[in-house]
Amino acid sequence: MDPVSILLGGLSSGMVLFIVSVGLSVTMGLMGFVNLAHGGFAMLGGYVIVLAMKHWGLSFVPALALAFVVVAAFSVVLERLLYARLYRAQELDQVLFTIGLVFVMTAAVTLGVGPETQVIRLPDWLRGQTDLGFMTYRTYSLALIVVGTLLVIALWLGFERTRYGARIRAAVDNRRMAQSLGIDVGRLFTVAFALGSGLAAVGGGLGAEILGLDPNYPLRYLVYFLIVVAVGGLGKVTGVFFAALLIGVLDFVLKLYFPKGGTLFIYALALMLLLWRPQGLFGRKSA
Amino acid sequence: MLETRGLCKNFGALEVAREVNFRLELGARHALIGPNGAGKTTFVNLLTGVLAPSRGSILLEGEDVTALAQAKRVKRGIARTFQINQLFRGLTVQENVCIAVSERLGVGGAMLRSAGQRADVLAEAARLIEMLKLGNDTGRRIIELPYGRQRLVEIAIALGLSPRVLLLDEPAAGIPSAETHILLDAIATLPKDIAVLIIAHDMDRVFRFAERITVLVSGAVFAEGTPQEIAANREVRAVYLGSALDA
Amino acid sequence: MSPAPDALQRRHRFQWWELLPWATGLAMFFAFPNYLSFGTQLLVTILFALSLDLVLGYAGIVTLGHAAFFCVGAYTVGILAQQLGWNEPLSGLVAAGLAAGIVGLISGFVLLRTHGLTLLMVTLCTMTLLEQAANMGHAWTGGFDGMPGLSFTMILGLFPFDVLYFKSQYLYSLSVLALGFVVVRTLVYSSFGQSLTGIRENLLRMHAVGAPVRGRLIVAYGISAALAGVAGGLFTQVTGYVNLAVLGLERAAGVMIILILGGHGRLYGAFVGAVAYLVLEHLLAKAYPTAWQLGLGLTLVAVALFARGGLIGLFEKLRGAR
Repeated sequence: MDPVSILLGGLSSGMVLFIVSVGLSVTMGLMGFVNLAHGGFAMLGGYVIVLAMKHWGLSFVPALALAFVVVAAFSVVLERLLYARLYRAQELDQVLFTIGLVFVMTAAVTLGVGPETQVIRLPDWLRGQTDLGFMTYRTYSLALIVVGTLLVIALWLGFERTRYGARIRAAVDNRRMAQSLGIDVGRLFTVAFALGSGLAAVGGGLGAEILGLDPNYPLRYLVYFLIVVAVGGLGKVTGVFFAALLIGVLDFVLKLYFPKGGTLFIYALALMLLLWRPQGLFGRKSA
Repeated sequence: MLETRGLCKNFGALEVAREVNFRLELGARHALIGPNGAGKTTFVNLLTGVLAPSRGSILLEGEDVTALAQAKRVKRGIARTFQINQLFRGLTVQENVCIAVSERLGVGGAMLRSAGQRADVLAEAARLIEMLKLGNDTGRRIIELPYGRQRLVEIAIALGLSPRVLLLDEPAAGIPSAETHILLDAIATLPKDIAVLIIAHDMDRVFRFAERITVLVSGAVFAEGTPQEIAANREVRAVYLGSALDA
Repeated sequence: MSPAPDALQRRHRFQWWELLPWATGLAMFFAFPNYLSFGTQLLVTILFALSLDLVLGYAGIVTLGHAAFFCVGAYTVGILAQQLGWNEPLSGLVAAGLAAGIVGLISGFVLLRTHGLTLLMVTLCTMTLLEQAANMGHAWTGGFDGMPGLSFTMILGLFPFDVLYFKSQYLYSLSVLALGFVVVRTLVYSSFGQSLTGIRENLLRMHAVGAPVRGRLIVAYGISAALAGVAGGLFTQVTGYVNLAVLGLERAAGVMIILILGGHGRLYGAFVGAVAYLVLEHLLAKAYPTAWQLGLGLTLVAVALFARGGLIGLFEKLRGAR
């Protein structure tokens, strides 16, 4: 494979990682909540898309939008009813609760849909190859790169240029200070949580091509999503973006050249990085 | 006994300690007062090694301890209490005090003998618990105690380290006035060669106790003297009145 | 409900009811001769959960990678037996404990400088790393398939491993568990154990009483790792095989769930949790695997929200309310 193809392949899977993980980064940064169930929302999104396309004949893009809305709404219900009770709890309780949630989601999907791997049929215009002038490449991978880039720009603008974004940044930086300035961190969190879960749902659907889609999805990729967030830094949209791309490309290259155990290096790198900079590559050190 | 020379601490552009030169004499009963945000607790954190100073040095009995870790300073006899209780909340009063006493006696890492068989630790803990009139609460968990009583456990833990320098950060805060005498009695019965520094917000509470008072304002020593001198100092009164008016 | 004023002085003394688990264990041997294979698994799991209790329940280290030490012990025994022909069971267990203990001390030294979310991540990464390494080191570990068909010499030269009925395996495991339990019980009631609970309850205060916090945690981590390693070694010996299933997030989460379900930081939580979990799993998981997972998930959510002391905590509450 030539270097450009490798880079494009890695970037496209990095974009998927980004879309799924960005919400996790913001919510963990805001509340310090250890949410191991985040991948579950991505999986649910994938299933909403599969079901909507199969049973209601929805096409791919509207199904993505539907997944966003459904999962975001569902996550708000969970957040208000359950997550909110554990904000002040110990990490251990949060870990238990979210692992339990993963089990419930996995079992529910297995019961409702079945244990087999689902395939999301891409529309014709996303299949095949696109001529880039100097080379041709898979249209879908290119589309992922475009979508991911647009998304990070939109999120960056939202974070840096809107009052809402400024509030979230303030609250990630120093929750108590933000609260004393009259920012309702609880409500902020609910909105961020919904947005993040909705994006994860979209990511689950977009990434089914690369990551697959079956009931074990949340557990299988749990460590991956967490690594992306940890490397990128909590609550840092651009940090997560670059971390996701880095890991996506690295993973792609390693799997290509060291098909057996190439991912070992990713874990080793993540481990060393976390020991060296616990706040992540792009996070700022807290005082 | 304990001395600081040119002690400075910055958090970014914020100076919380400015050129603090301070001496705590052997057996002193010293008070450190100052308005809110004067940097009193920061000063205690610098003395105990929770924070590292930006500049300056800390000397204990003439020896430089500035680079020494917190645990090492405790071993050398610097003990403190916290402005907000820092207790082992799920454990009993007895266990709380025993943990401190075990560390002082160097048996905190002993694995074979049961903590309940350490007669020396238990006896010392019992003595301290009696001294702070906590005898009826020995077996109660911290979370079951009213805040004022918890405050006394805080003192018992510090005394359990048999310090030579005792730093009490706002010890009376949260203790109902009817019980402050237990605290003051306990402090009064301390061996004379322990140097005690009480950090307080206002003068009234420490007046009876302190032989010397240092006033800290905006991280710097503003005035120092006997209680009478400080009480008579117009500038100190102005600072307090000023901050009272601000508040 | 407050403990009695002299609870500290008395708690290390054996109570009559503390004989119950062991009496039950022996009674099981005679009452259910056909379930001894299951019983042996149960005993191994209890030992594993007990080792986790030391770090999670007592020292308050929230780790997701404890299965790593179980794995080190399991593979140590496996590799010794297969590659070096070292089949003697007792020395095998000692080797497993030592290997896992050393790995525990080293990883504790490196990892325990972090805490909170970072600690969770680095323990998870370490375990995944080990999993990948075991998968790659095919020549030594047998890769994904592991090492089947391991055989061991007689225990103490007297009792052969019994492939059909697990009689000697059961009693052997019960003895190892009893030994491990005595170690953990002695530790948690010692001054060392008391200081671990101090670290769990208030780190800031523990520093302020001059305790060498990090050193204590590393030692506790090492001991706990050694015990988990013994449990892993025992697993390999009694089953006669080892493969990658001993590792991974599901196994690590599983043992944590068992401990929490029983009640962490409570010494007997590992026993109660393992019995409840494995018996239910045995009855439900094969027939209704999905329902089992659903029930487990719901139980975890409920425990996290309402019953943080686990089953023993619930029992304590009921007794206190009476």
